[in-house]
Amino acid sequence: MKNNRRRFLQTGLAVGATAAFCPVEALFGGGSPTNSAAAAATLTGPRPVLVALRDGSRSAMLDKGLAELGGIQAFVKPGQTVLIKPNIGWDAAPEKGANTHPEIIQRLTKICLDAGAKSVSVFDNCCDQWQRAYQNSGIEEAARSAGAHLVNGKDETLYREVAIPNGVKLKHAKVHSLVLDSDVFFNVPVLKNHEGSLMTCAMKNLMGVIWDRRFYHQTDLHQTIADFLTFKRPTLNIVDAYHPMMRNGPRGKSPDDCVEMRTMLMSTDPVLVDAASAKLMSYEINQVTHVRLAAEMKIGSSDLEQADVRRLKLA
Amino acid sequence: MRLGWLRPARIAVALAMLGGLLVAFADFRGLVPVAFAHRLASFQFVPSWVALVTGPSLAVAGVIILLVTLLMGRVYCSAICPLGILQDVLARLARLVPGVPKRLRYSPGLPWLRHTVLWVGGAGILFGGAAFVLPLLDPYSLFGRIVSSLLRPLVTQANNALVGPANAAGIDALYRVNLPWAGLGALALPVATLLLIGILAVWRRRIYCNTLCPVGTLLGLIASRSIFRLKIDERACQKCGDCLDVCKAQCIDLRTRKIDFSRCVGCFNCLGICPQHGIGFRRPARARLPGVPAAAAKEPGLSRREFLSQGGPLIAATAGTSIWRQAMGPSRSERLGPVVAPPGASDIRRFLDRCTGCQLCISTCPTHVLRPAVLEYGLAGWMKPRLDYRQAFCNFDCNECGQVCPDGAIVRMPLADKQLARIGCAQLDLDRCVVKTKGNDCAACSEHCPTKAVYTVPYGNNLRLPRLDESICIGCGGCEYACPAQPVKAIAVAGLNRHERAEKRVEKKLQSPAANGDFPF
Repeated sequence: MKNNRRRFLQTGLAVGATAAFCPVEALFGGGSPTNSAAAAATLTGPRPVLVALRDGSRSAMLDKGLAELGGIQAFVKPGQTVLIKPNIGWDAAPEKGANTHPEIIQRLTKICLDAGAKSVSVFDNCCDQWQRAYQNSGIEEAARSAGAHLVNGKDETLYREVAIPNGVKLKHAKVHSLVLDSDVFFNVPVLKNHEGSLMTCAMKNLMGVIWDRRFYHQTDLHQTIADFLTFKRPTLNIVDAYHPMMRNGPRGKSPDDCVEMRTMLMSTDPVLVDAASAKLMSYEINQVTHVRLAAEMKIGSSDLEQADVRRLKLA
Repeated sequence: MRLGWLRPARIAVALAMLGGLLVAFADFRGLVPVAFAHRLASFQFVPSWVALVTGPSLAVAGVIILLVTLLMGRVYCSAICPLGILQDVLARLARLVPGVPKRLRYSPGLPWLRHTVLWVGGAGILFGGAAFVLPLLDPYSLFGRIVSSLLRPLVTQANNALVGPANAAGIDALYRVNLPWAGLGALALPVATLLLIGILAVWRRRIYCNTLCPVGTLLGLIASRSIFRLKIDERACQKCGDCLDVCKAQCIDLRTRKIDFSRCVGCFNCLGICPQHGIGFRRPARARLPGVPAAAAKEPGLSRREFLSQGGPLIAATAGTSIWRQAMGPSRSERLGPVVAPPGASDIRRFLDRCTGCQLCISTCPTHVLRPAVLEYGLAGWMKPRLDYRQAFCNFDCNECGQVCPDGAIVRMPLADKQLARIGCAQLDLDRCVVKTKGNDCAACSEHCPTKAVYTVPYGNNLRLPRLDESICIGCGGCEYACPAQPVKAIAVAGLNRHERAEKRVEKKLQSPAANGDFPF
């Protein structure tokens, strides 16, 4: 075990060092030091991988997509701690499409625990009152029934101040300790229209792991969203685009704001999934400013032409 | 008839009532069901009467309490009133301390003070001062505020201190809660109340209930004419004084072997303690016994004539004050307006006249957007709930304040109606908006807007600028809370003195793309 951890850290440091000199290639593989080295090995390559699934149930698409990426073993090793970060921004029922669908969180939790994860934690720094959001989104019950811990995202003492040296405007932030301490970090956003940032998906979902959301709005919403990714990239991004909200986002008024798209996207590159998500929403990729900025900063790739896109239709 | 069971029954009911209300008011996590809290509070005398007199409510608890009092005295004061029960608890704890005397002597009481408070309070209510007077006098509301604004934050702090160790021990059920303290202006009265009743209870047990509490005095007036009254059997009494040890009201006069039943709080302690079974409920004799002088037969307390002669001038004085108040013109809230009252208040003046300021809604509000007012509404709104958008906003899918209010001050509304209840209206100042001032996207306002009264339109170089459609704004404050503009927010909610109904806008359902289509990339 000890040997493993040492080797793991060495690999991580090596990847980190590489990242300092040539960020693009290294980061395509999800080169954050806490990421699974094996996953990095499987997925590092000249072309970033995007798995796009259609026309299956949420659970079926999740299973199929993970299998395409080498199975859950590529991401979760026995004994590791896992964080799942859904979007639980709002006190809204699942059919309103304002939050990640609970079915995905439930399924993913079970998959991780079956793969030997030591623990699975779930949280969000909600916009609405958090207990109501956890409860009425259906995520609390779904995650708990599968064995996950629901953690308070509104407890400032659980956040730690970190430096973000490569951020342009976000130079430091208080980040939830689960993000800092978990071995594996699944970012599981729901795709939605957003009146301010045009679209909210994988990149913007990460606003929910920092304490002071208002600083983003005060400073420069798109730039700070991009800046955070210079500090931390999720192990894997899984986009719930089954029933995306096309207008009145991100809160939505009714299920009528959503359309049935029955789609799921997966990639270790949050910029790439967001670029594909923008296309799902019928936006030009560069219209979504934080996607454009992140690509320009070479945090990830928004070039779908260059990507290794695996299109999988389940029906 | 043996009535020894009355005391344990009273204690059981009292502890249940005190425990229930303590939990409901100290609840910082929304653990107590709203319907339960509402029901408990509805048993209270003043809220029940307010609801019955001023609303379409059929709250009957107040009537039942009057009838019970007419039957057998102030049962309410010992079994139902949480402030009274709290005093019993404090006095009992104090008696555990060595040196605190166990026995209180008979005292003739302070009938003049007692009736003055009742008359001033009563006149104040009759002449339009209910909004200010009720919160100061209603014992239930005095209790509610002590627990809601003092005990609840303390319980929360204790909870927060336990979260770390509990989580370390693998207990997930605890989590930290951010509960801001009420301002000093709103805390002053609860602190003073607690000190006052604490000191009085330790010193003279129920003297508060028999001098300052107008509910006690009012029920006492009825009790002094009730059908059954506690009386000492003069042939049985050997003046042993055991009853004095347990009497909280100092109303047993052993010299004359008489009980001042208007001051008896109905604890029934004396019923079982008398070794001779010499205390019991009796119907008063209709006629005086021949040969007994009138003075000796007179019940302790004020005669009707004394009572009226002291009250008359006070009514006149209060009426004068009330006329003067009217002449002074509209209250602060009518002049300035921008205080946001809870959804269901419907009209601020109407709301203030009915709210007794118990703060049960403040304890219940899951977002803590309801906070006790200091002088924002004027003096009539002291300690009553207002929406404070600095730290929170009103949850669109919640109508719990109206569900829990026992007074009918916050009208109970179905969720669909509450979601259209306009309690205020946003005012957008684009010159302060960061989209304009900094040239960055933001739309935190629109993001939080549940009705999309705040939406965005394309602006400048690929930006989106907020717009406001007042007709569908309900004043929930999501926009104001979220707005990052400094030092002054670009969007803020002005309250409405008279709440309105916002328009309902339904959009057509979006068409889904064809199934089994292709990826757009």
